[in-house]
Amino acid sequence: MIDVKKHIIESDVLVVGGGIGGLMAAIAAADGGADVIVAEKSDTRRSGSGATGNDHFTCYIPEVHQCGIEVILEELNNSLVGGNADPYIQLKFLSRSFEVVQDWNKWGINMQPHGEWEFNGHAYPGRKRIFLKYDGYNQKEVLTKEALKRNVRIVNKTPVTDFLTYNGRIVGAIGIDITKEEPEIVIFKAKAVISATGNTSRLYPSITPSQLFNTGHCPNNTGAGRAAAYRAGAKLINLEIPNTHAGPKYFERCGKATWIGVISDVMGNSIGPFVDKPTKELGDITADVWHSVFTDKMQDGTGPVYMNCTETSKEDMDYMLWGLKCEGDTSLIDALDDAGVSLKRDMVEFTKYEPILVGRGIEIDEFGRTSVDGLYSAGDEVGNFRCDISGAAVMGRFAGEHASGYVKDVNNDGIDLFSHKTVLEAQKFYSRLYENKGSSTWEEFNHGIQSILDDYAGIRYVRSKTLLESGLEYLDHLEQKAKNELIVNNSHELMRALECFVLLQIGRLICLTALERKETRGMHKRSDYPFTNPLLNKKFLTIRRLENGKNELEWRDMRIN
Amino acid sequence: MPPIIDKDKCKKCGLCAQICGLDVYGPYEKDTVPIVRYPSECWHCNACVLDCPAKAIKLKLPLSMPILYRRLKGEDND
Repeated sequence: MIDVKKHIIESDVLVVGGGIGGLMAAIAAADGGADVIVAEKSDTRRSGSGATGNDHFTCYIPEVHQCGIEVILEELNNSLVGGNADPYIQLKFLSRSFEVVQDWNKWGINMQPHGEWEFNGHAYPGRKRIFLKYDGYNQKEVLTKEALKRNVRIVNKTPVTDFLTYNGRIVGAIGIDITKEEPEIVIFKAKAVISATGNTSRLYPSITPSQLFNTGHCPNNTGAGRAAAYRAGAKLINLEIPNTHAGPKYFERCGKATWIGVISDVMGNSIGPFVDKPTKELGDITADVWHSVFTDKMQDGTGPVYMNCTETSKEDMDYMLWGLKCEGDTSLIDALDDAGVSLKRDMVEFTKYEPILVGRGIEIDEFGRTSVDGLYSAGDEVGNFRCDISGAAVMGRFAGEHASGYVKDVNNDGIDLFSHKTVLEAQKFYSRLYENKGSSTWEEFNHGIQSILDDYAGIRYVRSKTLLESGLEYLDHLEQKAKNELIVNNSHELMRALECFVLLQIGRLICLTALERKETRGMHKRSDYPFTNPLLNKKFLTIRRLENGKNELEWRDMRIN
Repeated sequence: MPPIIDKDKCKKCGLCAQICGLDVYGPYEKDTVPIVRYPSECWHCNACVLDCPAKAIKLKLPLSMPILYRRLKGEDND
């Protein structure tokens, strides 16, 4: 059996995931007087999708924008992070976004790299611009330091695998210590848990299917928080509407809006209606609006589609290369150099990436609370709000603030976690995998999940009752085989194997919710319901596991107030 | 073929193995040149390249991940 560490790590607030959302939650909870632990899968200085930087922060500054907050909210919902969100949360986010920007600036993340509040990129001609340009190359290091200054304890290299509840309320979590070859189970005891495990990558084959880790967002993010929250009884929301990003082919990178060029055909002519000449103020928002432009043009034979920077002014080209560094895309710059690409003369082909879950996941309220008492969520794993880095930063703060107040009235004395059912079951299951005499690797398992989801619950083909139900059955078969046939040699491989079981579980939830959405909407294309049903406009679908193990699917209205 | 460590330049501090977001180095043995144990799990994020105090690490994209580009303008049109 895999050992359970004898020392329980105890705190008022446990933050699961030390990305932007998690660190901001930890800082806010500590400021609120709570004793805080951050459990991080790798190292908070360089973990998550914001690991090496970011250069756009959605923000409302009344004196700069010179308009009401509703105008900015409208632009937000017309942007790549809009839709599928509750406006009452979006408004609260916008109302405090500038406050966070000012704190980051004070802490040492340069939010005014050119001496003023500069809004550029992802923008429509003649409209308000909402993305504040900043230099976030050091954001993780700065936030880690700010957390440590407040005596937040950071437990690195400890992926959390499950949450612990007691009488319907959260009391802790378990994780795996991967610092040594031999895995050990770690128990965390806490009065509140803030889950912030980011997006879910690796559900679908990347644009280079042989490379599992060629993903735009961080491939270490596989939905641990979503799956653990679901098992703890929390509601998940908006899982069934696929979301894709786009960028260079075949090296998946975020930062589409950092490029200052025009989305062009092979002759260099602009494809979209928004810009003919590249400018740093606008970029080209075509791909944010026409998500399928890259695949549409491949399918009708008029592709490929390129990012064309050959008409970009020298000043804007320098600005773009600087921006890519701020965004954390230095490896992309190196790869372009290594390939001998001259952006003044060469166009770089872009493509649509595989679906990931971001802004699809755990349902929260305006304080970051989930439907489980004491469990909060923030960042990319939230399902009814999305604003990427800025959303994680601001909503992480809200969750930390509220959790620090909540824990004052909670008492965990006398709760024995060593004999907790979830701990014992996890120990048994992880030990079974570790002691298996199988010969199949977790990579094979991950590829198998990707193949099934791609074919039966993806965007490559349509979705339908027969396809989705077949996919569910195939996932069950694969899960049973994996339980018996996997080989796990060390703590690292145990972490990866458990990620795959999480991916499979999330895949199953995607199938179930996609079955329930009997219409076509966005990239959720049902061949048996080939129309968008107006009755489902502004309605969200939630799923949660009941105590009897059955799933409860519910529709609810988008919340305006 | 990620990341490549120049053994002559490496100061054996282990920082790359500690900060790697994907644990491609696995557990680090003190005072050794880190081993890239899980190269196929590299995200190519450049964190180890940026943070290495000895500038001893380079990343190389695998051939399966080429950047695709086409020349639109010749030298004369610059």
